[in-house]
Amino acid sequence: MSEVLKLEHIQKYYGSKGNVTKAIQDISFSVQEGEFVGIMGASGSGKTTLLNCISTIDMVSAGHIYLNGTDVTEITEKQIAQFRRENLGFVFQDFNLLDTLTISENIALALTINRVPAGDIDGRVREMAGNLNITDILDKYPYQVSGGQKQRCACARAIINQPKLILADEPTGALDSHSSQMLLSAIQSINETLGATILMVTHDAFSASYANRILFLRDGTIFTEIFKGNNSRRTFFEKILDVLTMTGGGRE
Amino acid sequence: MYAKLAFRNIRRSLRDYIIYFVTLTLTAALMYSFLALGLSPDILAMTENMSMLTTGILILSVLIAFMSSFVIGYAVRFMLGQRKKEFAAYELMGMEVKTIRNLFLVENGIIGGGAFLLGALVGTGLSGLLNQVIQNIFEVPHTYRVLFSFRAWGMTLFFFTLMYGFGMFRAASVIRRQKVIDLLYDNQKNEEIGFQSLLRSVLTGLLSIAVMVAGVILLEKGLHIQTNEALLYCGGACLLILVAVYELHRKIPVLLYLLAKRNPQRKYREENLFFLGQIGSRIQSSGRTMAVVTILLTISLTTMFIGLTMGAGYKANMEAYYPYDAGVAIDAPLTKNSMDTVRSFVEKRCKVEDSATYYLYTVPGKSIEALSLSDYNHLRDILGFSSVSISNNEFLVHCDTWNYVDDIQQRLEQQSKITLNGQTLTAAETPILTEPMEQYQMAGTNGYVLVLPDKVASQLPGEKIRLVMKLADGGYPELRSELRQFLNSGEWLPDIQPGQELPEKMTMGITVKAWGVANSLTGFTTLSFCGLYLSIIFIILSCSVLAFEQLSSIDKNRKNYAVIDRLGVSSQKQVALIRKELSTVFFIPLLFPIILTVFLIAGTQLLFGKSFLQEGLVLFYGMVTILLFCAIYLTYFGATMFLFKKVILRPKIR
Repeated sequence: MSEVLKLEHIQKYYGSKGNVTKAIQDISFSVQEGEFVGIMGASGSGKTTLLNCISTIDMVSAGHIYLNGTDVTEITEKQIAQFRRENLGFVFQDFNLLDTLTISENIALALTINRVPAGDIDGRVREMAGNLNITDILDKYPYQVSGGQKQRCACARAIINQPKLILADEPTGALDSHSSQMLLSAIQSINETLGATILMVTHDAFSASYANRILFLRDGTIFTEIFKGNNSRRTFFEKILDVLTMTGGGRE
Repeated sequence: MYAKLAFRNIRRSLRDYIIYFVTLTLTAALMYSFLALGLSPDILAMTENMSMLTTGILILSVLIAFMSSFVIGYAVRFMLGQRKKEFAAYELMGMEVKTIRNLFLVENGIIGGGAFLLGALVGTGLSGLLNQVIQNIFEVPHTYRVLFSFRAWGMTLFFFTLMYGFGMFRAASVIRRQKVIDLLYDNQKNEEIGFQSLLRSVLTGLLSIAVMVAGVILLEKGLHIQTNEALLYCGGACLLILVAVYELHRKIPVLLYLLAKRNPQRKYREENLFFLGQIGSRIQSSGRTMAVVTILLTISLTTMFIGLTMGAGYKANMEAYYPYDAGVAIDAPLTKNSMDTVRSFVEKRCKVEDSATYYLYTVPGKSIEALSLSDYNHLRDILGFSSVSISNNEFLVHCDTWNYVDDIQQRLEQQSKITLNGQTLTAAETPILTEPMEQYQMAGTNGYVLVLPDKVASQLPGEKIRLVMKLADGGYPELRSELRQFLNSGEWLPDIQPGQELPEKMTMGITVKAWGVANSLTGFTTLSFCGLYLSIIFIILSCSVLAFEQLSSIDKNRKNYAVIDRLGVSSQKQVALIRKELSTVFFIPLLFPIILTVFLIAGTQLLFGKSFLQEGLVLFYGMVTILLFCAIYLTYFGATMFLFKKVILRPKIR
């Protein structure tokens, strides 16, 4: 397995002289190809800032982030769009689907932006929809489907271009427990069957238990990390809760 | 505290309100300048029936105030949409709805007051320009002088308060009805997209075309009916055409959208999918507005073109019709002495600076009349043209009716020699002269006249006699009726040429330039100015509606553009998409008005072009209409584009 993502001494400060907030103090870690990594931490621990820096939405104050060997921090404004197209897939808490397009068109949008030939698009969309069990809602608009279905559509859109890394920011945050389970199973399946590398930010231990490895952030640093290994998901879930109890977090 | 808050809110939202403010200012400016013009004692004193202009402008001001109040309603919807969260925060903090409403009204009162004052100021400046234009039309010596009138100011304030009051009343009722939950979560609501089927859209489109054809047929019939029934036909035709235009503009964008989405090659090309989604949403939410804007623009463009062309056309014709200050034309073989008493009659009333009495000679066997070279040169001298010379065996043709020139040219090329009383004359080196000398009654009844050497002309029968005069200060309008009275009274005794007889019916014509200006130009000036007033304000209002339609959904759009930004669409591409989206929304309503205007210009040129004595007049004013329209339209488009880009492409976190 090759290294997809590598972070070296990342720091991120906000504010100006005399009033500096350190969102990320000094973080280094790497993610291997096909890994499903969860990032947990209490509010203000820096997890979303970290995700934003990796996803090129925000810039680091110091350090380097390498995605498939490319230093993300050195990418110019002009190169960002192409970099995102070719390397990243996003899943957000509020779905970020376009109300103006159908579910199928929302998925196809990522392909058209990546200049996939028109003839291949419908087939690929149907195939991906099949993987995520949303084939029967392809012609519906986002307002006509449930939150879980919307989020699976967002997942399909994120993965359809086979990006190097899928970034998920609280993907179950707006879903009920049943929809969350279905979505997490889908994400796990994407990881296991399609070999997608996933980095998921969450504050929910249940969601995190679907990952293979969890990084716990506290005050902008990695406090600890735990691996699922050969444990069952239930055992891993217990381990997560233990760490959270230790850090004073727990289930929010 | 609340006043401070209101001021701060205005300062903060200044950028969002700029189009609103500019529209209000322009409306107030145009309203004031036209009202000041319509109520100006100087302008009203120019002719006895100039009050037509006042009436026209007052009626239009009521209509404009009514239309503007709807546009203010749009603006209010936009502003309330932008500030939902802010109002929710006020309510959650315990501020009463009444206080929020008052805060909003105070803010808008300040904006409206500012726009009115600035508008009145700009309008005062503009009134000076309009005043000059009118003085120029009436050929009165003029300098730039602003028109300040308390009455116009009061009227503008009244109309402005009326339109603004209506808009504010609407805003107050919207604020009162809104629930805090809607204010908080309205922007999270999903947008519903749903269109008629392609077949149904095609059928409705075809039906609209059929209705339009029926309207045109009815209009054509109406134009050929001489009774009052024509009004019924024309009114019905206009109604049918407007309904068809409205429905077509509702259906054409839907059809284009559905067709584009049916073709995968087009739909999946580059960012087309996103663009189609954006446009689909616009057509869905603003389809009706865009269709109404189409009708407004159609009315604006036709009114402006017809107003300008008719006004200018009449002026051009009148210049040719009245080149002399006064003239008497009598189709009878009278002696030149007969005209001396007429000249003396005029001399008693105003100073005659110059005059010419001459014959229009009958050319045997030809449908053209002739002038002697000396008379012709005398007329040229009165009009300030240089004299011309021809040799004893030459002739020339004077024709200032441009549409006959080509024909005469061709005839001269075919036959450059004529024989009169046994003498052959050849065409002079410059065979046709075209200065406006008016040849309908004074110099040639057919619009052209033959100019012959004096010796040749004197051998022809002079069966028509003419007297033209150059008067000090151009004479006065009442001179026409005085002259008519004199010629028809027994005071004037015509002296018949020896051996000739008076015809049974003697045709007599009197032209007095001052009268012509006073009684005819006024109507056309009124038409032009009212047309211009209505059309410019309608264009401004239409543009504002389109701008507010776009800006009111700016939050939704920002969200959508943020999605494609994260999907890897570059900033340049996003700018191109914004431009494409706005262009489509701004230019869809132009489809019919522009086609109609082009047809109108071509049709006017074809049907009436020859009636106007100035070549290219229709095309010139067609171009003026389109350019003036484009200038206003593109300014609004540019301003909307600027704001749209600024908000949507607001620097992301990076």
